[in-house]
Amino acid sequence: MSIIEDVGAQVRAAAEELPIAPLALALEKFGQATERLRWVRQESANPMGVPELSAATEHAESAGHALRVAQEQLSAYLAAIGLAPDGGTAPRPAGDRQVHDAPRGVPPAAGEQSPPEQDDNPVLRRWWAVRVAELTGGREGAPDTQDEKIGDSRELLHRVVGGVRAGDRDRLHRELRAAHADVGLGLAAISPPLLRECAGELLGHPPRADDLPRLRRELDGRVRDLLPGLPPQALETLLTRVCRMPPPRRDNAEQPHAADPAVTAGVATAVLLARLGKDLPRDDGQDDRGGEPAREKRRETERDAWDRTTRDRADRERAARERTAQGRPPVPPPPPAAPAARRRDSDG
Amino acid sequence: MASVAELKAAIDVALEQIGDGQSAVQAAGEKLAEAQQTLAGALEGSGHETVEAAQASLTQASQELEECLAATLVAVEQAQLYVSTL
Repeated sequence: MSIIEDVGAQVRAAAEELPIAPLALALEKFGQATERLRWVRQESANPMGVPELSAATEHAESAGHALRVAQEQLSAYLAAIGLAPDGGTAPRPAGDRQVHDAPRGVPPAAGEQSPPEQDDNPVLRRWWAVRVAELTGGREGAPDTQDEKIGDSRELLHRVVGGVRAGDRDRLHRELRAAHADVGLGLAAISPPLLRECAGELLGHPPRADDLPRLRRELDGRVRDLLPGLPPQALETLLTRVCRMPPPRRDNAEQPHAADPAVTAGVATAVLLARLGKDLPRDDGQDDRGGEPAREKRRETERDAWDRTTRDRADRERAARERTAQGRPPVPPPPPAAPAARRRDSDG
Repeated sequence: MASVAELKAAIDVALEQIGDGQSAVQAAGEKLAEAQQTLAGALEGSGHETVEAAQASLTQASQELEECLAATLVAVEQAQLYVSTL
């Protein structure tokens, strides 16, 4: 990972973790409280904090808007410095005769033919597969053909997790090599957040700088066993990122191969999931094909959720006003999802 | 017609809901501060206008959260004062 990529990773992580979800929760709670206090006010002329609560709600909404604006600005900055917002950089073929995989699902144009040398030697045809073979110990493995069933990065991660859990190195190598380069590179986008989550579960708290040695101990041996050709700094860079630390200093000017962070992140995540005895959560509906579309989709989902919360709040307030005007008590809020809801005895 | 006991119970529930909201806002403030710190470290020395704009947006968000919390404190105080008079 280059210096600029490290900067990008830190910026990206910070932008992703901006607290939009807690604010949505706060808005929901304030809305419920306002509704209930409005009903109480119907019985009394005392404002009992309702105007202040409305002001608090407006401040929370403004904060949420500012956070979303900041996310967009950070995304624009990443683009301005030449980084895709998902962290992927243009793949760097390892040799002149290696090429990036053709776009998936796009048939070749009529009359378009592949250069003959690409058909002559399939191992040289796909830089992704070549690099995976190097990382996995130079095994020849299965014929170097793409598996179209690996439709997105999440599916690939599922397969990697399965290979690691089964302790089947050949299967792991085969699955990784068979993936389309774009799908493989997508591991760099979807795996680190999951890895950080798993690391937090293992440690009992979000990973921080002083957890780096423990994570190194947990992962290093097994990852090296699965990826004997992996440069040591690849895992170290990933773990420092997980621990929100500055990246390790590089002793030479050589930049890591584009595939390395992706493969490392996928395998390390699979190893930690296996260590925790967990499986990868099934598809949550996100399309991880390529990093930025998925990220943009998630942002849209967050925006929609935010809009929906705001709209619901407005609806609730309108309904509450109507109920208040009719002298009826407020509608009790739905039962909380969390089992440890404190108000269960008194709410409703 | 509602009873005083009903009023008190309703206000107590509202106060709990406000408390939950306050906790969420505080958590948001802490996460925001972490993000600001991370960004300040990563982007130190950058004069890019979008960086300055993003940091200004985050500062604004932080201020809004503080004002939000302050407003809820007054709301809680007023509601508790009312309960004490019932």
